Amino acid sequence: MTFLSVCDLCVRYGRVEALSGVSLSLREGEIVTVLGANGAGKSTLLRAVLGATPSQSGSMIFNGQDVTKLAAHERIARGIVLVPEGRRIAISLTIEENLLLGAHLRRDMVQIKKEIEGIYERFPNLGSRRNLLASCLSGGEQQMLAIGRAMLARPKVMMLDEPSLGLSPLFVTKVFDLIKELNRDGLSVLLVEQNAGKALAVAHSATVLELGRVMMSGDPQTLAADPRLQEAYLGEAST
Amino acid sequence: MLTQQIVNGLMLSAIYMLVAVAFTLAIGVLNFLNFSIPGLFMIGGMVAFGGLRLGLPWPLAFGGALGAAALIALAVERFAYRPMQGSDPETPLVSSLGFLVLLENLMLVRFGSDQQSFPALLADMNLRFGGLVIGIAQLISMALSVLLVVWLSWFLSRTNTGRQIRTVAESRETALLMGVNMGTLVPRLFVGSALLASSAGLLFAVNYQQVSPFMGEGVGFKGVAAMIVGGMGSIWGAVLGGLLIGLVEVLTISTVGANFVNISAYGLLLLILILRPQGLIGQPPSREKL
Ligand SMILES: Nc1ncnc2c1ncn2[C@@H]1O[C@H](COP(=O)(O)OP(=O)(O)OP(=O)(O)O)[C@@H](O)[C@H]1O
Ligand SMILES: [Mg+2]
Repeated sequence: MTFLSVCDLCVRYGRVEALSGVSLSLREGEIVTVLGANGAGKSTLLRAVLGATPSQSGSMIFNGQDVTKLAAHERIARGIVLVPEGRRIAISLTIEENLLLGAHLRRDMVQIKKEIEGIYERFPNLGSRRNLLASCLSGGEQQMLAIGRAMLARPKVMMLDEPSLGLSPLFVTKVFDLIKELNRDGLSVLLVEQNAGKALAVAHSATVLELGRVMMSGDPQTLAADPRLQEAYLGEAST
Repeated sequence: MLTQQIVNGLMLSAIYMLVAVAFTLAIGVLNFLNFSIPGLFMIGGMVAFGGLRLGLPWPLAFGGALGAAALIALAVERFAYRPMQGSDPETPLVSSLGFLVLLENLMLVRFGSDQQSFPALLADMNLRFGGLVIGIAQLISMALSVLLVVWLSWFLSRTNTGRQIRTVAESRETALLMGVNMGTLVPRLFVGSALLASSAGLLFAVNYQQVSPFMGEGVGFKGVAAMIVGGMGSIWGAVLGGLLIGLVEVLTISTVGANFVNISAYGLLLLILILRPQGLIGQPPSREKL
């Protein structure tokens, strides 16, 4: 059953049309990856699905509910959560405060505390520095914190915008392992990546954007073998 | 007698401190120099005065003054701040200044431009320690001011809403992506800042027993000076700045005379701006512009 469906979405920034009729669907428990060159509109797509960037037309249905008119905080409360491009950790807050910020729409303090402890167990580097400002973390650790913060919002679908960008190979592997693990536990994932090879390897379905339109979409193995994609992304990524 | 001057200075400091914190909340979180704040200070004193003159019991008159300030703050948010989002940051500053002039003139039409004497509520109850005289009203006012600021600081550092406010202060964009509801948070900030300013106006009226439609101007600019001396956007900076400006003012009066008050208060401001542009405990501007 379709869990999230985006239909004919158009977004413009002033005169620039960033998305011109993009459609996409994600089934519950799936990882769907969105690929595309710089400026193709990937971040715009995720932000529009979150409700942080207004759309001119098109619709978004999530979990059987039309969310097109809802504000970002209402969509987050329904389980659509974003790990933003560039991580966007609040560096004037402590690590623990960043996690609490992720849970700010929830009221079940006891459960929140338990989940935060769970995150510290998973990432001891965060736990040992929980009361320090988040600015003391490395890029990779900040990415883990950004994912942890998103988990505290109780996501039903987690959208990640280039989570491996700028990370060391060790952390790239960690990020992809974590995505796979969360997905195995039932989380649906919408993943935007520059690292097309790794993204196609974990995804159940893939969509390629070009200049705000869907260029192709379908099964990741088929896409990986497609000469157009090979030329555009995979050639680069494998060097 | 120096001790007596310092005690008097501390009362003035407490008032400047509240006004400075009201300014710093608006500028630190919303990057908005809200010039309606001196007007809200005046509303705190004048509406309470009007209420008492109508024969209302003081809790009603005071509550009415704070309520009026809160409502006006919502109007400032709605008509001066919100429509100007996305334009130059100076535009809401000018429109909030418009609100100050409007409020002053409304009060002028209603009560005239003269100083009015505010009734004494705690008729001359004083504590004496040796030669030192401290009014009960003064003591209560100072305690209330300190409590308000301590509570605010606790609120910002420990509560869910406080974390959201600090996130907005750091980056509006991050706050939006985390689902902070700016549509309700911003009006709440305006109301919070208005309650601080109007409480300061109330305490001023109770302690100095005089009000006028223009009472907000002198105090308001000193509040801005106090905020800058301490460091914009920092609550404890506003506290420190208020403390310094109040003390400098009273000590100037008692040593060289009342004519030198503004010279020394704004002289201190200039000195700090030259030596430490970010203020005594402010951070140099490094964060992204809101
Ligand atoms: N706030 C904005 N204002 C104006 N134009 C914007 C804005 N954000 C994005 N754009 C434009 O919209 C288009 C799509 O941008 P978007 O950030 O969605 O691309 P992207 O696929 O995420 O690129 P990248 O891989 O570089 O992150 C680009 O042409 C970009 O210049
Ligand atoms: Mg992007």
